[in-house]
Order: sequence, then structure tokens, then C-alpha cells
Amino acid sequence: MPKTDNLQGSLEILILKVLRRGPNNGYAIATSIEQASDDVLEVEEGSLYPALHRLTEKGLLEAEWKMSESGRRARFYKLTAKGRKRLETEEARWHSIHAAVAKVLRTV
Amino acid sequence: MSLWSRLRRTFRPEQHSREIEEELAYHLAMKEQDAAGARAARVRFGNRTKLREETRAQDVLMWLESLTRDVRYGLRQIGRNRGLSAVVILSLALGIGANSAIFSIVDAALLKPLPVKDPQTLRAIWWKNHGWPDPLCTMMNGDSEGDFNTAMRGSSVSVRAYHELAKEPGGFTAIVGAGDPGKVSVTSGRRPAERFSLQYVSANFFRELGVEPRLGRSFRDSEDRSGAAPVVVISDRFWRGYFGGRTDVLGQVLRVNNVPVEVIGVAPEHFFGVQVGEWVDLYAPLSAQVLLDPRDRLNADLGEKDTYWWVRLIGRLAPGMSEAQAVGMLSARFQHAVAPAGIRVDQKKVPKLFSLPGARGFAAFGGDDGRALWVLLLLVGLVLLIVCANVANLLLSRAVARQRESAVCLALGAARFRLLRQYLIESMLLAFAGGALGLLLSRVLADGVHSFIRANLGIGGFDLHTDWRILLFTMLVSVLTALLFGSAPALQLMRASINDVLKAGSRTVLSGRLRLPRMLVAIEVALGFVVLAGAGLLTRSLVNLEHVDIGFDRQNLIYVSIDPWAAGYQSGQVKQYVERLRAQVAELPGVRRVAIIQSRPFSGSMNMTTVNAPGLPFARDQEHSALLNMVSDGLFETMGIPLIAGTTFKPADLKPDSGAVIVDEQFAKHFFPGRNPIGQRFGESGPALDPKFRIVGVVKNNRYNSLRESARPTFYQPLSVGMNPGAQINLVLRTGLPESKIAPEIYRAAAQVDRAVPVTEIKTQNALIDHLLLMERLLSILSAAFGALALLLCAIGLAGLLAYTVARRTNEIGVRMALGASARQVIGFVVRQCFGLVVLGVVIGVPGAFLLGRALRNSLFGLTAADPVSLGLSLAALLVCAGLAAWLPSLRAARIDPMSALREE
Repeated sequence: MPKTDNLQGSLEILILKVLRRGPNNGYAIATSIEQASDDVLEVEEGSLYPALHRLTEKGLLEAEWKMSESGRRARFYKLTAKGRKRLETEEARWHSIHAAVAKVLRTV
Repeated sequence: MSLWSRLRRTFRPEQHSREIEEELAYHLAMKEQDAAGARAARVRFGNRTKLREETRAQDVLMWLESLTRDVRYGLRQIGRNRGLSAVVILSLALGIGANSAIFSIVDAALLKPLPVKDPQTLRAIWWKNHGWPDPLCTMMNGDSEGDFNTAMRGSSVSVRAYHELAKEPGGFTAIVGAGDPGKVSVTSGRRPAERFSLQYVSANFFRELGVEPRLGRSFRDSEDRSGAAPVVVISDRFWRGYFGGRTDVLGQVLRVNNVPVEVIGVAPEHFFGVQVGEWVDLYAPLSAQVLLDPRDRLNADLGEKDTYWWVRLIGRLAPGMSEAQAVGMLSARFQHAVAPAGIRVDQKKVPKLFSLPGARGFAAFGGDDGRALWVLLLLVGLVLLIVCANVANLLLSRAVARQRESAVCLALGAARFRLLRQYLIESMLLAFAGGALGLLLSRVLADGVHSFIRANLGIGGFDLHTDWRILLFTMLVSVLTALLFGSAPALQLMRASINDVLKAGSRTVLSGRLRLPRMLVAIEVALGFVVLAGAGLLTRSLVNLEHVDIGFDRQNLIYVSIDPWAAGYQSGQVKQYVERLRAQVAELPGVRRVAIIQSRPFSGSMNMTTVNAPGLPFARDQEHSALLNMVSDGLFETMGIPLIAGTTFKPADLKPDSGAVIVDEQFAKHFFPGRNPIGQRFGESGPALDPKFRIVGVVKNNRYNSLRESARPTFYQPLSVGMNPGAQINLVLRTGLPESKIAPEIYRAAAQVDRAVPVTEIKTQNALIDHLLLMERLLSILSAAFGALALLLCAIGLAGLLAYTVARRTNEIGVRMALGASARQVIGFVVRQCFGLVVLGVVIGVPGAFLLGRALRNSLFGLTAADPVSLGLSLAALLVCAGLAAWLPSLRAARIDPMSALREE
């Protein structure tokens, strides 16, 4: 059983999901999420970076400094094997909770 | 992330911050490039520094945040179950409070360093010599160890030797001198005389010990010179007690032993002197001894004589100086300093100095008394373990109720570690609440025990104020307690299988046979048995000591001590005075006989000498030593010591140098085996046989100073009153009335003979013996109190467990009753379970009781560590308590209505 104290917000799943496509920096992650959600979800920088560091802390992400497309040094985050596995379980869980909530909303 | 990098990040934050700063800067730069515009970006991004800090603090904060969450949750849990929590906190307060009380006494009496600056650098300086340092010293006051004839150690030197050493302290930064505290009478204005403790100290005493007077000043060097007007520094306690803490105390004049002295300073709070257990009220310079000591008005300048050794030495080791070197330098100087003017001494016969640790000063309290205190701490520690077991059981029942909650948490992905931490935090909260309350309780308990010790042991008392040592001890004990009692519910939790708990229908799932709670109660009983056995051993030893045959009738025997020397009498006058007083007292109603004795049995003082008997090769050892007492005519009749052969003293024998002595049976048997002792001659203390003593009678053995040791060979010489200047004189009275009735009459009679002669003490023989037994009595009372507490706790533990068992098995009992079990059988079922636990506990406890008995063996008397009576009584007490504990639960079991019990299912 994964050892997590409490459920962090959905932001963490979204970060993991975005990084599934490949390593990226914080700013790109934020814009990816915003674009993918048709700007419904807005990523606060105040949540994004703490979340990135938290995930790195837990060993779900790895970080290193690289050159970005714009030619500046940026910190790139990469999914670890553990992170990949976590993404799968969290995704499954999310779907089941989502389905359950939806069902309750429909029937009650 | 590794622990290492986390630590590095916590303690070396600059690099980490720089990285975050750069990362955020990049983010902002990218944003600025975006069409949304730079301004909007900055506004949305907010404060960059704050963001950086927040990001960095994430890992530290997460930990702290979850901790505070756990603490808040713990407090809610404690608040939710108020009754249970109150019981837990109260029992913990009792257990921890008792421990902290006994610890504070042990600490003050045996562990704590003196309340002075840098106590660790202090050394007590003693001398050692082969035998008594003859002819350098004729009289000694202080501590001495060893025999006149073997290696001897002494604590004190003459005043002159002290000043010589203090002048050039060599490897010590300073040497401080102090006599032993003694009682003086203090008056002022119209107040009647009261007795207080006074210590003569060197002028540098306060200065070099680093003790700053809270008011006024300490001594000047000029005040410690012969002829200086006497001044005193008073203790804080005396200042508050005698002067009511008045600030105009400086310059006040007290009359000490009727000599006016001026108060120049008040010692700081909590400063009791340099002798643990003695609380000095007044400090005077060494030179004041000659003025203030009543004995010295007669003996002129005794306090300044080179042959009177009474000043103890404390040296403060200079930094970087080796102890051996410093003492060696001092010892060399001592050889010159010690010889009285005009006496040439063989250098080999001059004592050598050596040093002892001085951080605790001169212990007035040690040896057997110290061991007794450790025993108390051990017993009270066992009681705390019982409290732990009880509390663990209480919490276990709650943990069971919460098992579902825990299982749900686990199923939802909570780490077991987090749940464990949650439980331990709750335990800590409870323990700290108990500890805080216990600390208050301990002050009350410690004061009670302390006033018992003070009132009865005749010592000045200890410094028991709550300092960081007591706080630390209480906190450590609280933490330890929490780990102990908290581990049981935690263990239960770790073992719980989520599936079982969630599947089971019943609300409580504790493994069916209640293995853990039963084990805890059995351990409680075992510990209770050990405490009770200890109390039994100590109490029975006391009873045995109280019933030792001392060889004479101790009832209605009163000693009256007088000090005619203090009134300025000379030898011839003393003899006349004592004869007149004896005649007066003999006339008093209720007084049957009066005699005079030099050393009162069981008073703590006795003369010892070596005996040289013809036909017995002489040696200076224990084998050849005997006790010697001086007695008047009529003494044996008054005390009720039977004469076995020969006669008592006749008037002709009372002349000095008559050589007539009376010996006891043991003396006769030891020194004249197989011979008729009457008419035999012997000598004393020397290899050359000078048989100056002639045995005229033999009396029955009696004991002198110790109830524990058997009687020693004793001989009695006729007392020539007045031959021993300064010595206290004791009348022995055999009375038909109690002391309280006789004492006022005695004071009146003494005043009639001469108002100027003080009656220093009136004591019964029983009071003297009781004084010897005080430590034993304290041990017995406190251990019995702990035993009773242990018994009560065991009863609560047993009753709780049984009640719980009955409640859980209501169904089963109902079925049994429906199938025809009688109420008696049901009661039997509960009672059997209860006694089974007690027997199991006692079996576990027996080896512990043996071990405790062995640890106590120095305190035991007339019984062995495995005393069957004590063990049997402890078992009986536990069985009675078990019977009482089983009473209510078994009645409840018997009253179960089978129908309703079954319907509940």
C-alpha cells in the first residue's frame, strides 16, 4: 500500500500526467494544464512550485537544470518509475471516485 | 530525497534558495514574454521572495504542520473522553508525584552539588596518619575514620595550621576553613533564648565559595583575628524566620551564648552551608569560637590551641593544576605548619594530606541512611510501574473502541507509522498533564517527608526547592511513563488486521482471550507483591529491632543532663553541686532511684579502650578492645542491671585510683575464659602490663550503641564527678511517673540548687532508642504507604479487568445460566479467574521479591531476605484485595438475566 498521509489536491495528478509526455519545466507544465483544460483550470504559481518540490521530495519526480527552447537555463522535471506507477494508481482511483460521485449526483 | 540532502537543505539554505530564485525568475521571464504582458504577470505572480520562502519551507513545514495537527487531534480525543482521561491523569499524577518527591529528597541528600560557584573544582582536604597524631593533637572535632592503632583519617586541623595553609595555598586558588556546625542559644531584646545552628568559618568563606550575600556583606579578613569584635552573617532562612525578612536587619545585635554579636550580612536564598543535611543559621569567623563557645570560657583559648583540631579544609583547585600536585605541595607545607611552637616532632609522625571530592561538601548524610533513601526510590519506582500497567489497560479499552476508526484510516492509506505517532502523542499529552499535576503533588509529599526527617533526625534539613534538576527528572519520568503505558495500545494497533476489524460485526475486537490486558494485570500483581514484600521486610525488621533485649528495663528510665561547666564551675564545685542536685531529685515524688552515669546507653557516645589481660598476648585490635563507662554507686540498681557475681561498688571503691571495676559477663568470658573473674586484675591500652584494675563484680550484659550489633565486652569504673572538665553529666532516674509529669519538677529542683546551671536535656531511654530507629521507622512508614498504594492500584486493575470480562461475556454467561448453571457457579467462574491472575502474578513476583530482599539486606534485622512471614503476609494481602476486587463483577455476573442476555444477541 502506498504510504501517503492524505490526498493532495488534483494538481499533483495533473502534473504527473503532463510529465508523462516527457520532461518539462514549471512554466511549460502550467501552460500545458491551462491549455488542455481550455483555460478552465488556472494553475497558481503559489501552488505549482510547492507541489513540484513536494513531488520531488517523495521521489516521484527528478529535477535537473537544462537549456530551454528560449535559450535560458530552466529547471526541468522528469517522471521517475515510481512517479509513473503512482500516476497509474492515482488515475484509476480518480476515475473510480469520479464515477462514484457522478453516480450519486445522478441517482440521489 | 535522502535525509542528508534534506538536512543540508535545512541547515544550508542559501544554495537551495538560489536555485528556487532562479527557477522562479525563469517562470516570470517566460511570462513576460507572453502576450498577456509583463505587468499582469508580476501582479499575478505576487511576492517573489515570499513564494521562494514558501517553497523552501515545504518539507520542514509539512512535518511541523502534521505534528500540530496530531497534537490538536490528541487533545480532542482526551477531551472527548473526560472521565477516562481524568482517571488516567490522576493516577499518573500520583505515581509521578510520589517519584518526584522521593527523588527530590534523594537528590538533595545524596546527589546535588553545593549551591556555590563551580562546585566541581572544590576538594575536601583530609589528613591521614598511622594512628592518632600524637602529640600534635589532643582533641579532635569533625570526622575521623579508622582506629587509634591503624591507618587513621581525619577531616580537621588546628586554626593555626589552617591559617598557615591558607596563606600560601599553592596549587589551590584558595583554601576555606570551617568548623562543624553546633547549637548555640540566641536571644535578642526581651525574646527568650532559642537554639540555632552556628558554624565558625574563615573570613574568605563566602568570597572564595562565590556566595554573594543577598544583603550586607561577608567577613573582612580583620574580623577573623583574635580580639576582633564578633560579627555574624545569617542565613536567608534565619533572616525570614527570626527577623521576619526585615531589611533593617544589618547592624542588629543578637546575643549568642550571651555574647553580643552584630549582624553584618544575609546569605543568599537556598544557601545552607557546606554540609548537606545541616542547615546553618548563623556564620561567625573562626576567631569568634573563643568568645562564643561556653566551654572555652573555662578552658581559656581552646579554640586557638594548636592541639585542638576542629577546622575542616576546602580547597578550590587552580585551573590547569593536577590534584595530586596541588595536594603534594600543601602536604609539604602542612608538615611545618602543624607542629606546636616549641615541640620538635619526628617528621615521619606528621600526618600527610590527601583530597576527596568536595563538590558535595562534607556529607553529613550518607552510608546506611543514603542506602535507605535509594531503597525508597526503588519502591516508589515500582509503584509507578503499576500505575503504568493500570493506565495502559485503561487506554487499551479505549484503543479497542477506536480500532474501527484506526482500521478505516489504514484502509484509506494512512501509514501505520502515522497512527503510531498519533497514539504516542496522545500518551505524551496525558503523561505531561499527569507530570505537571504530579509536580504540585510532589511538593506537598516531599515537604511532609522532609518535616518528618527534620523533626525526628534532628538535622537542619535539605534544600528541596524545585530546581531544574527536579523539573528534568519529572519530565524524563513522564516521557518514560508515556512510552511504557502508550506502548500497549500501540502494540494492539500494530497487530490489528484491517480485514478482521472491518469484517467483524461487533464494535470491539480484542483478541478473544484478552491476552494483553490479563498479562498487564498479572504484571501489576507481581510488582505489587514485590512492593508489599519489601514493606513487610522493613516493617518486621523494625518490630524486631524494637523488641531486642537490651539487658535492662527501658521503661520509666529518664536521663537528666546538666552542664555546670557552662555556669563557670570548677572541678571541686561540680562534685558538690551534683551531689546536692542528686539529693534534691531523689526527694521528688515519683522518683524511685537516682544515680549518675557518664555515657547514656544508645545516646551515640561511648568510650572504647584496649584491654591488656594477663595470659592473653597483647595486640591493638578489635579482639582486645572493650567499652568503658563511668558510673556512680547505685547505678546498676537504678538501671535494673542484675549483679551476677561479687559486689557492686562500695564507698571505699569510689576513691580515685582504687582500681575497683565491675565487668559484664561477656568481658569475663572473653578475657578470663574458664576462670573465676572476681579478684582478677588487668590493665589498659599498652603492651606493658600494668594491672591497675581489680574486678570486684560481674553484671549481666547490656547493649550500648547499637540494637543491631550484639553486646560488646564492657567494664565499669567508679565515676569521680568533676574529674573530666567540660564533660556533660547525666543523672539516671528510675521513676513511677511519666516524663511529662517529672520534667517540670526536675527543672524546678535544678533551679533551686543553682539557677545558673542549665539543664541541657531531659530524655527517656525510650526516646534515645527511638532516635536510633528513625531511619528504620521512616522506611517502614513510607514503604507501607507505597505498599497500600500498590494494593489499591492492583485492586482497581483487577476489578476493571473482571468487570470488562463479565460485560463482554454476558451472552456466554446467559447461555450457561439458561443451561442450568447456578449463581454460585457463575460467581465461582469470575472468582477463579481473579485468583488465577493473582497466583500467576505472585509466581512472577517471587524472584523480584527475593532480589529486593537482597538489595535491602543491610536494612534487615532478625530475618532473611526470603522471610516466609513477610512473603506470606504479602500474598494474603493480595488475596484479600483480589477477593474484594472480584466482589462487584461476580455479583453482576450472578445477576445476569439469561433471557435478556440472550435477547441482546
